[in-house]
Amino acid sequence: MNEEWTPLDCLLPSALLRACADGAANQLYNITAGDRDKFLPDYISGDFDSITAEVKAFYADKGCRLMETADQDLTDYTKCLAIMLEEIRTQKLQVDTIVTLGGLAGRLDQTMASVETLFHALSMTQLPVLIIQEASLAYLLKPGNHRLGVNTGLEGEWCSLIPVGGPCQTTTTGLKWNLNDQVLQFGKLVSTSNTYEPTAPGKPRKPVTVTTDQPLLWSMGILIDGK
Amino acid sequence: MNEEWTPLDCLLPSGKQRICLIILNQPLDKNHLHVLWSKALLRACADGAANQLYNITAGDRDKFLPDYISGDFDSITAEVKAFYADKGCRLMETADQDLTDYTKCLAIMLEEIRTQKLQVDTIVTLGGLAGRLDQTMASVETLFHALSMTQLPVLIIQEASLAYLLKPGNHRLRVNTGLEGEWCSLIPVGGPCQTITTGLKWNLNDQVLQFGKLVSTSNTYEPTAPGKPRKPVTVTTDQPLLWSMGILIDGK
Repeated sequence: MNEEWTPLDCLLPSALLRACADGAANQLYNITAGDRDKFLPDYISGDFDSITAEVKAFYADKGCRLMETADQDLTDYTKCLAIMLEEIRTQKLQVDTIVTLGGLAGRLDQTMASVETLFHALSMTQLPVLIIQEASLAYLLKPGNHRLGVNTGLEGEWCSLIPVGGPCQTTTTGLKWNLNDQVLQFGKLVSTSNTYEPTAPGKPRKPVTVTTDQPLLWSMGILIDGK
Repeated sequence: MNEEWTPLDCLLPSGKQRICLIILNQPLDKNHLHVLWSKALLRACADGAANQLYNITAGDRDKFLPDYISGDFDSITAEVKAFYADKGCRLMETADQDLTDYTKCLAIMLEEIRTQKLQVDTIVTLGGLAGRLDQTMASVETLFHALSMTQLPVLIIQEASLAYLLKPGNHRLRVNTGLEGEWCSLIPVGGPCQTITTGLKWNLNDQVLQFGKLVSTSNTYEPTAPGKPRKPVTVTTDQPLLWSMGILIDGK
């Protein structure tokens, strides 16, 4: 995708569809206490080994669809994403981005499984799929050219290019430490604790451009409470 | 390494491995800290890890003085730095921008082990697997560098996760300390790995692990008859492959 795209644009409240993957429903239920009717997901999917009986009953009563997906080879996240894409098709919705909340902290294997879902997403849809948790955002850049807008005011200080799947021949602009047709690869060169090219006071940041020959994980910080 | 090796031995008070401890800048689990600190031959903090140590050892700080604190010192506070300097801890400023504080701290640790001619089995790192995603990945990158820095196993523990990079070849992991959590995982972080395993519930049978094709997460151990110990997990890989496993915290 060569047009400019702004990863943190999604932090404005405007979701067309909302879903929970299994035990995410417990999280939603707890954090929306006192206001639960305003936060009813369109569906809850998964193998239902994490959602509690109480939470399941609550959302079922409210008319949320419960979609049990027993496939052991795919994670709840991948299955939830597949259903989301099907809903978007069926309802003929115009969608720009699929945003995932959670998935980057806790068990290390589950963080890695989330990244694996991003890989699967590349062959499931043309839509960008991104993950946000706390102060981190993750987005898998497919092979080709990318222009990322980084001027929402929500960008934290750091950003990063991580060759999770294997070596990536990479060229960038707009970073403090750019890659100049270099190979990013674990054991040789991984770009972490990078940041944006400094700009004159009052001037907006230039977009970050990235060219890669293999899927490359972009990760960036999000400002929380101004820091 | 073909001999059997026990990843969680370091958290067993009765464990036999001789360890050195590196602490990274993440909230510290008190239990992990106490067990590892008491067994460690050398103890070091990477930059802001000193702040974490200082905070969590309030009231008992004299019993938790690191041998050295290294890094570019952009995270450690002036107060904490002065405290440990007064107590005789070495402060070693390492300004190299191309390497992370963790990698540099590890390099110093290996040098200390050499200089002091210490017999060490394992280097244990506390912290590094949570917080900013890029820093989690940077910790994994340090494990890659470690493969060419030392023959010693270098592992990372944070909360209920352990990470250990298997170098190409054969490995036998003992998983019977009683501290193993339910899950384990083989993650081909650097690129594709031709993999064979035994001892897992879902074994790999000369298959290629690769992001986008097959990644083994939420795996577990081969079930055993009640009262019987688990068989070792064996892994053969042709490329560095990240082993990760859960740790029981308070029995769950």
